[in-house]
Amino acid sequence: METEDFAADAALFARMRRMWEDVDPVPAELVDRMVAAVAVEDLSREYALLTLVEGTLAAVRGETDTATLQFSDGTTSVLLHVTATEDGGRRVDGWVDAAALAIRLVQGDHEWSAEPGEHGRFAFDEVTPGVARLRLVVRDADGALRDFQTPQFEV
Amino acid sequence: MGAMTQAGAEPSVDSAEPARWERAAALFVRWREGDSRAMDELVRLMTPPLWHVVRAYGVDPALAQDVVQTTWLTLVRRHETINDPLAVSGWLTMCARREAWRVGKQHRRADATEAESLEPHLPVHESAEQTAAQDDETRRLWTAVATLNDRCQRLLRIVAFEDRPDYARIAEDLAMPIGSIGPTRQRCLAKLRAVLEGDGWRGDDDGN
Repeated sequence: METEDFAADAALFARMRRMWEDVDPVPAELVDRMVAAVAVEDLSREYALLTLVEGTLAAVRGETDTATLQFSDGTTSVLLHVTATEDGGRRVDGWVDAAALAIRLVQGDHEWSAEPGEHGRFAFDEVTPGVARLRLVVRDADGALRDFQTPQFEV
Repeated sequence: MGAMTQAGAEPSVDSAEPARWERAAALFVRWREGDSRAMDELVRLMTPPLWHVVRAYGVDPALAQDVVQTTWLTLVRRHETINDPLAVSGWLTMCARREAWRVGKQHRRADATEAESLEPHLPVHESAEQTAAQDDETRRLWTAVATLNDRCQRLLRIVAFEDRPDYARIAEDLAMPIGSIGPTRQRCLAKLRAVLEGDGWRGDDDGN
């Protein structure tokens, strides 16, 4: 094939790229959400630590027991409410005061993902009792992504 | 990574910058060496082409986002299996294509009557610097591409967004004999050119 044919093909492919970028653009936020999803999955990553400002790292003991934990780094805060479920597991309801893109509860070999909901709310419906830590990626006021993890706590 | 075939060798348009697959490879190496932020850059670099490759399979937008996410999580979990870091961009697009094909097949079976790949999409956003002429050009190119069969549309979109097309794999996905992909691409391009020329298109001349 002639070089000029390659050049003409390449030019037409470049046109088609722009056309598809125009008629079917990458959804807004997809790139940031993918960065966040990968960040909470990447166990080799170093996360900024949120420290416990209220509550205790000890476990919920029984069905009527509940625990409330608050973690913060001074700017970003996470509130967790742990309750026992009927099946002997734990439910973790959470709230974060920043726009969360990915939230994950890591417990040994097990991990749970939560969908960030309205007003920073999220929930893990059924978690095995044990030692866990929360990882999350949020978008701060400047639009930058920041990733955090809590110390280990008992659920 | 297999050797480049003749049909896959497209001239580099902006040869001053390293190709996308080369940048991807460099970022992947940095990440493996412990620079966790290099992964963020790799995700930012490769998510847009992955989106277009997945959408080429007629997967709806919500599912396409899931497929792109699955692709990235698979990379983090299975990166040890990639022996040659230079292959990372090809590995990602292959993984996305395989998943898109699998998901798309289920979806087509469940919803066989919907001819969604032929839905006429018009440009959905306008940027300030886009002139009316460019909009018109996009519309005419889109209309011409939409006259091609599904297989041609899919093939052209994949090739347009993959900078190192793996022809053996595309051929398998599209259920075409290996070796026919180059000629098929040429036939699809020729059909497209014929439609465009019939429409008075002279867009090939003014470069990029």
